[in-house]
Amino acid sequence: MTAAIIQAVLLSLTVAALYAAVAAGLTLTVGVTRIINFAHGEFVMLGAFLTYWLYTRFGLSPWLGMLASGVALGLFSMLVYRGFLARVLKQDEHNQLLATLGLSILILNIAIILWSPDPRVMQAPALLPSAQFAGVTIPGNNIVVAIVGLLLFLVMLGIKNHTRYGTQMRFASDDPALAMHAGINVDRIFELSFVIGGAAAGLSGGLVALVLYVQPTVGVDLVIRAFAIIALGGLGNIPGALIGAAILALVEGLISTFVPGGGSWGFGVAFLILLLVLLVRPSGLFGKQVHA
Amino acid sequence: MSAGLLARIGLYAAIAAPLLRIAASDRPFLVQVAIGTAISAILALAWDILSRTGQVSLGHAAFFGIGGYGSALLTPVLGPVLGWTVGILLCGVVALLLGAVTLRLRRLYFTIATLSFSLSIHVVILVTPGLTGGSTGIMPPVIAGGSPPLQLLFITGCLVVAAVVSDVFLGGRFRPAFFMIRNNPDLAAASGVPVTRLKILAFVVSGMVAGLAGACYCGLYGYVIPDDVFTTNWNVLPLAVTILGGMDTTLGPVVGAVVLRLLEEVARHLVGGVGYQVVYGAVIILFIVGMPEGLVGFVRRLIRSRRRQAAEPGQASAKARLAL
Repeated sequence: MTAAIIQAVLLSLTVAALYAAVAAGLTLTVGVTRIINFAHGEFVMLGAFLTYWLYTRFGLSPWLGMLASGVALGLFSMLVYRGFLARVLKQDEHNQLLATLGLSILILNIAIILWSPDPRVMQAPALLPSAQFAGVTIPGNNIVVAIVGLLLFLVMLGIKNHTRYGTQMRFASDDPALAMHAGINVDRIFELSFVIGGAAAGLSGGLVALVLYVQPTVGVDLVIRAFAIIALGGLGNIPGALIGAAILALVEGLISTFVPGGGSWGFGVAFLILLLVLLVRPSGLFGKQVHA
Repeated sequence: MSAGLLARIGLYAAIAAPLLRIAASDRPFLVQVAIGTAISAILALAWDILSRTGQVSLGHAAFFGIGGYGSALLTPVLGPVLGWTVGILLCGVVALLLGAVTLRLRRLYFTIATLSFSLSIHVVILVTPGLTGGSTGIMPPVIAGGSPPLQLLFITGCLVVAAVVSDVFLGGRFRPAFFMIRNNPDLAAASGVPVTRLKILAFVVSGMVAGLAGACYCGLYGYVIPDDVFTTNWNVLPLAVTILGGMDTTLGPVVGAVVLRLLEEVARHLVGGVGYQVVYGAVIILFIVGMPEGLVGFVRRLIRSRRRQAAEPGQASAKARLAL
């Protein structure tokens, strides 16, 4: 029993790293541009497909596939931003929301038509050997996901807090008009944060290909979880998102392992917890408490 | 005042007449399409009422489902009239609680909280199979003995009710307060607008109207599973319908529902299968870029600029071109 619990907790924590990886790019984008980008999940899905194909068609190692997906989705995000989202930036919140939902529906269904809704498995050899810990085994790919996910998180944190661009991003997000007067190219900074977020999505798509089925709908649930994580941790608060990811994945993992039939609804309980947290702390666990 | 009332009755007649004409026709397919469109329009009106107070919900599937499930489960116990009434009142109570909880939430937090709520309610249904049938679903009593034309008549009546409710909240009593709350809640509070009470009132009314749409939907075929009503589709649809048609109006959501359904049917005919979903996404994107204020807003602006053009020719035409 204890071994089963330890196994479930450790696996949940690697899943948490995957969620955190998906949320990492999103929290940067949302924190800076304030656009609730539902298409982020489809960016992750495209990254997963790209990594999958690079491996199955060209035998490219998933390590390189992940990086390639990151670069490709960064470029794709730039196209999406310049072609579409930049026009929506000055519209009302509901229009922005619907715009990214429309984008998500479009990409998802094009993917279903082109590649069929079938789930695929990338049968790549594990990138790292599996590890023994307290009598339980953790598969190598889960360790990769945990390491890369955390690294991605730290990189996002580093960009935001320790680079010149990061400072400009925070300034542009706090007060776009003032930032513009201070000589910051706000449009450019918004675009940059969107492109970095997209690249992070592509890279986390590579992680998805390692541990989940590769299928067009894979991003839908992931992006909802990512938003829950961001709200739990507090908008734009990157370490908060990490804790949010751990809470979400643990609740979900433990319920689906130990409650009969819990696999189908463990997901929903995590959202009940989110609702309760927001009841007590309207800006998330670690968000700045803004008076409404 | 009476001219305004007359215009409104004209509007309701204009909404109801085509639906009644279809109900009288002998074309089953058209009747089904009209029923679906009317239900979308009711749900969209519900969403629009809430959005007028600046609360952008992505969880209206919850009320849609609670209304459907509530009326379906209560009708055998309380009879159809009382069953529906209590089912819809239940939506009001749930909306009251959710509205009170989400009152302080802003933007992302509000949207995610409402989305989470709809997912949570889905779970509640799944884990209480004794009461709600769980994942196997329920068999609600059908409306009007299962005759589609009569169902359409009934649902048309519900749509007119929803339109009247929407108009009440666009009237002089609520409109200024609602829009002030949306644009500047602090100023509204300082001006003596009871912000909290009105925001929750909008939530309750919106939840009940969405519940009415759900009750209509569940009473169509006599069989409903949780995945039919608690899906993201019903969360996204009212946004798409309302924004495409035109927010802050009664006509907008109705026009939006018709246009979206027409495009959907055309796409289904031309592309088929899942292809129409691509068209759905593309239509949303094109509208957001081309007509951000929706069809009704677009036409209104067109008329306004025409009038200005007629009033002062020459200079105004340049201005109108700039505005467009």
